[in-house]
Amino acid sequence: MEGTHPEIPGHPTHTSTALLEKATATIQGFAPINQIHNHLCAFHFYAHDMTRQVEAHHFCAHQNEEFRQCLIYDRPDDDGRLIGLEYIVSETLFLTLPDEEKKLWHSHEFEVKSGVLFMPGVAGPIQRQDLEKVCKTYGKVIHFWQVDKGDTLPLGLPQVMMSLTRDGQLYDNLAHDVESRYNVSFAKERENRAYMKGPDNGIHPMANGGGQGLKTVLREVDCKPVESVPRIFV
Amino acid sequence: MASSDETPGAMPPGDGSVPPGKPMTVGQYLVDKGAQITQSLKPIKKMSMHACSFAIYSHDMSRQIQTHHYISRLNQDFLQSAVYDSDESTARLIGVEYIVSEQIFNTLPPEEQRLWHSHGYEITSGMWVNPGVPEMIQKPELRELARSFGKFWCTWQIDRGDRVPLGAPALMVSPQGVNKGMVKAELIEKRDKKYEISSDELGRKREDIAVCEMINPHADYWMNAGKGFAIDVEPTQMESKPPFP
Repeated sequence: MEGTHPEIPGHPTHTSTALLEKATATIQGFAPINQIHNHLCAFHFYAHDMTRQVEAHHFCAHQNEEFRQCLIYDRPDDDGRLIGLEYIVSETLFLTLPDEEKKLWHSHEFEVKSGVLFMPGVAGPIQRQDLEKVCKTYGKVIHFWQVDKGDTLPLGLPQVMMSLTRDGQLYDNLAHDVESRYNVSFAKERENRAYMKGPDNGIHPMANGGGQGLKTVLREVDCKPVESVPRIFV
Repeated sequence: MASSDETPGAMPPGDGSVPPGKPMTVGQYLVDKGAQITQSLKPIKKMSMHACSFAIYSHDMSRQIQTHHYISRLNQDFLQSAVYDSDESTARLIGVEYIVSEQIFNTLPPEEQRLWHSHGYEITSGMWVNPGVPEMIQKPELRELARSFGKFWCTWQIDRGDRVPLGAPALMVSPQGVNKGMVKAELIEKRDKKYEISSDELGRKREDIAVCEMINPHADYWMNAGKGFAIDVEPTQMESKPPFP
């Protein structure tokens, strides 16, 4: 929750490694990554625990007009930790999902209209051209690294995350911290975004966990195909 | 409610595209370009390596996929990567893999170690390649990677036919030189043909790369236990800060 975060264990990068990677960065192709076109800042909370809230920096690319895929970092810096990912779909696509799947997705209407979700460094009128579309979409977020717990490594199971759906959910200190760092005012943006509309069919009742908490559980399974894997490996 | 090893519910076939959806509008393209110019996108620019390899589903080892990792390094012992299903601009984001040194791996508790896989075989067999980078330049890094461990969650099971990311994330394991860890020859051939390389030849060049003397028994859990892992998403009481929902 604080602005600082603990160091990742390990040695500083060797100069030789850094040089090698500078070379590979120049020689190789990064086509999928070059599609990433914008940075969005928002908050997520754990689908089983909304008292744990995480600032999430999304780096997003479009697959098409109705589908985006985003990498999520804990901060938008060189040493940002890759903590998760998000997929964002149009309402049309969302409605084609099987019902049980819909529960894993969350609505974006409140996040956008409240001003809390924003694109750092992008002028208001331009942001709003995009955000009025985002307002109608649904997202599926998985986090792999529980940095809010102080984990210095990505431990444990993937976590389904959810987004703000009402006033009063987001901790004030988290909100003010972001507002002051980025010199934005959520309240002012809320006014500017008052014209925006959420999903045409309203927020689907099965979205946002279907109103319930969600947790991930690990289960051991027999190795498939079973007959081909000996239980005792010699 | 949702499990990584469960076939998801049906979806309308649409036109078969993965994912479905209307093509990008010019307006959207312009907004995106504008943002891309204005914003610094630092963590993305930090990505310095592309690796192509193969991964296997922990809960069903007959399913093997080609993977494209776009990797950034946070320190000498830790790498993080976004994983895609191809190296093209249309590539789908299918998951995330973290890579740690042997030293860091040994500090993890056993139940955590079971979620990780070793990289020794993957590197020394020539299965892991860094397209476009001369082998000699890559060698020092490969030596370190051969002794590293990875944790790879796959969030989009495209090989299963999912046109959008469905279900719970799936744990992936690495290719190994035995048994169900062996990647099908036709998958390797197809990859090698595309990059005009020979994994076998790379494997020979890498014969002098040392792997861990003794692989920690908890890594590559399937090899000793004959078990894989699935993830279930279950309903639960939400620890709440009202109001929710």
